[in-house]
Amino acid sequence: MILLEPHNYIIQTTLIDKLAKPTSLDVQFVDFDGVRFHLSTPERKTSLLLSMSIRCWNELVQYGVHDVLKREYGAMVRAQPESDYNVSLDVDLEQFPPEGEERDTFIKNIALLKRHALAAPFELAFKAQKQLESSGSGQGEIMAMHYRDEEAIYIQASPDRVTVIFSTVFREETDRIFGKVFLQEFVDARRLPTIQSAPQVLYTTHEPPLEIRHVPGLVDSDDVGYVTFVLFPRHFAQAAVAASTISHIQLFRDYLHYHIKCSKAYMHSRMRFRVSEFQKVLNRAKTEVAVVDRKTASGRSMR
Amino acid sequence: MSNTLRPYLAAVRSTLTAALTLEDFASQIVERHNKPEVEVGTSKEVLLNPLMISRNENEKVLIEPSINSIRLSIKIKQADEIERILCHKFTRFMMQRAENFVVLRRKPVKGYDISFLITNNHTNTMLKHKIVDFIIQFMEEVDKEISEMKLSLNARARVVAESYLLAFSS
Repeated sequence: MILLEPHNYIIQTTLIDKLAKPTSLDVQFVDFDGVRFHLSTPERKTSLLLSMSIRCWNELVQYGVHDVLKREYGAMVRAQPESDYNVSLDVDLEQFPPEGEERDTFIKNIALLKRHALAAPFELAFKAQKQLESSGSGQGEIMAMHYRDEEAIYIQASPDRVTVIFSTVFREETDRIFGKVFLQEFVDARRLPTIQSAPQVLYTTHEPPLEIRHVPGLVDSDDVGYVTFVLFPRHFAQAAVAASTISHIQLFRDYLHYHIKCSKAYMHSRMRFRVSEFQKVLNRAKTEVAVVDRKTASGRSMR
Repeated sequence: MSNTLRPYLAAVRSTLTAALTLEDFASQIVERHNKPEVEVGTSKEVLLNPLMISRNENEKVLIEPSINSIRLSIKIKQADEIERILCHKFTRFMMQRAENFVVLRRKPVKGYDISFLITNNHTNTMLKHKIVDFIIQFMEEVDKEISEMKLSLNARARVVAESYLLAFSS
């Protein structure tokens, strides 16, 4: 599995299970970036309540997350979310579409709750780009989403492009060096003829890119990396392409760190193997000491 | 094996074989103690001349013989940041398992990446030429392992980047 999936697997499987056999349940689970979910049946077995808590909710509200969720989920969105959570959906199992493809898309759409919430600023930026293109000049405002403790996504629309900047923190030196290798490959990969149409990728460590240099609160340290994606209109001109671009780009940070961790695990298993090989070589040096079972006069073994 | 590696390893092998003439030697300072003299360094007269074999400035071996123990320290080639971190991880991984590798020192000598301490007890219980074989094989394979790990990291990074960016154009 190289690419991460944008939907939440637990929501999807739980809903499928509960559709087959409704029972009461109360589960809490998490997703990437410290997103918490709570799935429960407060009243009846067939009416589920799905709540989500997301770190940058206040910022998302500014960028119109309510409109996006209303469009995707309509009347399912509760006006008053469950306490401790930012958004709640009423999922009534009796009102699901009949079994088939329609139902699968409906379930999938619910499992994409986090993706839809985070999509709001991206959609806003794509709209802003169209307006700027028609007026021909100016810059959109920089939208910041502090979706993790020390990491953020910045989005800015320009007349001819939308710039998405990720700031990411590498917790330890190995991660930092591995991260550099990976990011360099992202920059180099565009040379391949098959991926010429992919967005341009730039990365800097330590120094923030020019677009966001004036933004307050940027951490200045060696552990921070900034990755810039330049999205051109071809990446979001059509609605379907735009949607897949959004789902895909949101997961960039998780994707990068996931693969850094995978590499580390691979290195570790490799070292384990190599060290056991060395151990065998050294054991060959040991002279065979014949283990003689020493017996007492009565025939019992000496311990 | 490259042309410069062969004489380098041959020099280490013959020096180490020559140096591994160890005998039991009790401490002259503390009664009924018997310690590796190269480590304690309290009696100057039992220490022999240390010898350094260098392939280049980044790859060298220091052999410090004494009457009852020898210490061999290796500096492994580290061309860039990635090799440095991989080498550090690998040697640390081995040194954490030093009790299994009886001849391995828990900490490297300053300026080196990994150190071995061979005492007369080790040469009594183990075959001398096999210990030398082990050290030479370690030196041969550690470079290979580090460069392979580096290659696999780069290969993985490329696949990861390509499959991510490819998903945009589809």
